[in-house]
Amino acid sequence: MKQSSRCFSGDERSTLISIFFKMIKLFQVYKNFGSKNPALLDINLAVKKGEFVFITGPSGAGKTTLLKIIFCAERPTSGNALVDGRNLNRIKDRDLSLLRRRIGVVFQDFKLLPRRNVFENVALTLEIIGFPLSMIRKKVHQTLRYLSLTNKEGYYPPQLSGGEQQRVAIARAIVNNPLILLADEPTGNLDPDLTMEIMALLKEIHIRGTTVLVATHSKELLKDTTRRIVTLNKGRIV
Amino acid sequence: MANIRENRLVHLIGIGTMSIAFLIFYAFILIFVNINHWTEKQGKTLTMSIYFKEEPDAAVIENIKKELFLFPGVTVKQFVSKDDAMKSLRRKLGEKAGLLDGLKQNPLPASLEITLSRDKEGDSLPHRLKTRLEEITVVDEVHYTQEWIKRFQVIMEAIKIVGMIFGGLLFLAALFIITNTIKLTIYSRKEEIEILKLVGATNRFVKIPFMIEGSIQGLLGGAVALFILFLAYIIAITRIHISIGFASLNIVFLSPQIILFLLLMSVIIGFIASTISLGRFFRL
Repeated sequence: MKQSSRCFSGDERSTLISIFFKMIKLFQVYKNFGSKNPALLDINLAVKKGEFVFITGPSGAGKTTLLKIIFCAERPTSGNALVDGRNLNRIKDRDLSLLRRRIGVVFQDFKLLPRRNVFENVALTLEIIGFPLSMIRKKVHQTLRYLSLTNKEGYYPPQLSGGEQQRVAIARAIVNNPLILLADEPTGNLDPDLTMEIMALLKEIHIRGTTVLVATHSKELLKDTTRRIVTLNKGRIV
Repeated sequence: MANIRENRLVHLIGIGTMSIAFLIFYAFILIFVNINHWTEKQGKTLTMSIYFKEEPDAAVIENIKKELFLFPGVTVKQFVSKDDAMKSLRRKLGEKAGLLDGLKQNPLPASLEITLSRDKEGDSLPHRLKTRLEEITVVDEVHYTQEWIKRFQVIMEAIKIVGMIFGGLLFLAALFIITNTIKLTIYSRKEEIEILKLVGATNRFVKIPFMIEGSIQGLLGGAVALFILFLAYIIAITRIHISIGFASLNIVFLSPQIILFLLLMSVIIGFIASTISLGRFFRL
């Protein structure tokens, strides 16, 4: 029996393989918010599974916009963005929600729900997924223990210090063992000691297999690091 | 319910605004219901006045009553003598009653007032009765309110149509106000919505609690409006008695069926308003 088959060329095979093993792939991504100065220009970025990458640059360079495109808070004006093999230009709302559950995000301003206590903030992702209460309790307690927050379970965000709030934000981001953890200036509001504490936590999370991207303009964090650094300036990768 | 408890002030303001919008609309409906009720009532009974040439004696009045009771649905209200008619006119003229002092004799006729129930024979009965009564020697004239009521009913029908259009516009205005009120409520929790979406909540997961809140706010707003309207109604009926000639207007409140319908409508308006308001938050 004659079978029709399509053989891929060498280049095509390489491209397919590289896409397959890349957790994040941005190809010729532009982002324009309507002003004369676009936020991102011709961004080509590939992040492997399990990699730890710093995104750095001065204020206004486009770091936050880049992260927003990765966790789908913004769509590229042009170009393609793939996360875990999904094309963000074509993703439907339902699939978008499912993808976001596998991406943990940590912000400079923590973004905790002020009227929910620590337990409830961390449990939020698991509630949305629909885990049973017993499972939620187990996972949240494990995560709080890992981040030394067990004794703060019943506290509300305004009752916590900056470092504690950031740990709660990290706890919420990792409670569901995400594939990717994005941190946008996670230590921007913290003193140097707390900064080192948070960075150590992020490194530990990375060691457990999570792909980590940290956006920061702090030269202190980048000093002596062996991690990959992607530098942005005026929307371009330098 | 937890969300409502946590954002009490915003919800109270929302409910307060909605209840004002609903109150205006419901007050209009109450007026409309009463106009409808009054015109229907007037259509059902008819008042007829039989005027005599001279003051009749008791035997004549009895004979006329016997004639009247041959017709179905007739009720004799009262006999008004010439003197009684003059006294009544003086009362109505009040300070100007002195104008009547110059009259050498009483020109007002004696009359017999009767009412006719119209559901028995429709429009032909009053005319037949009038024709029969005017054949009696002692009877001068017979007047009844039907023609006047017919004209009034035409005006009332026109008022009803205008009222329905106005009511429709009021409904749209109420919907607009409520939509914007709920939009403000949702906007005050914009950050919460963004965080929920950030951690992977589906649009439905985020929207449903707001839709439920909007429906509850609508229900509470409607209930408060109805309560205020009822209080106003109680005050109105204890202080005001409106008479239009020999027809008196009794103000009625909304029936239980209408109240239930309005409460259901307020829930639906709250639901629709919250659905419209949520739209802008879910573009990405």
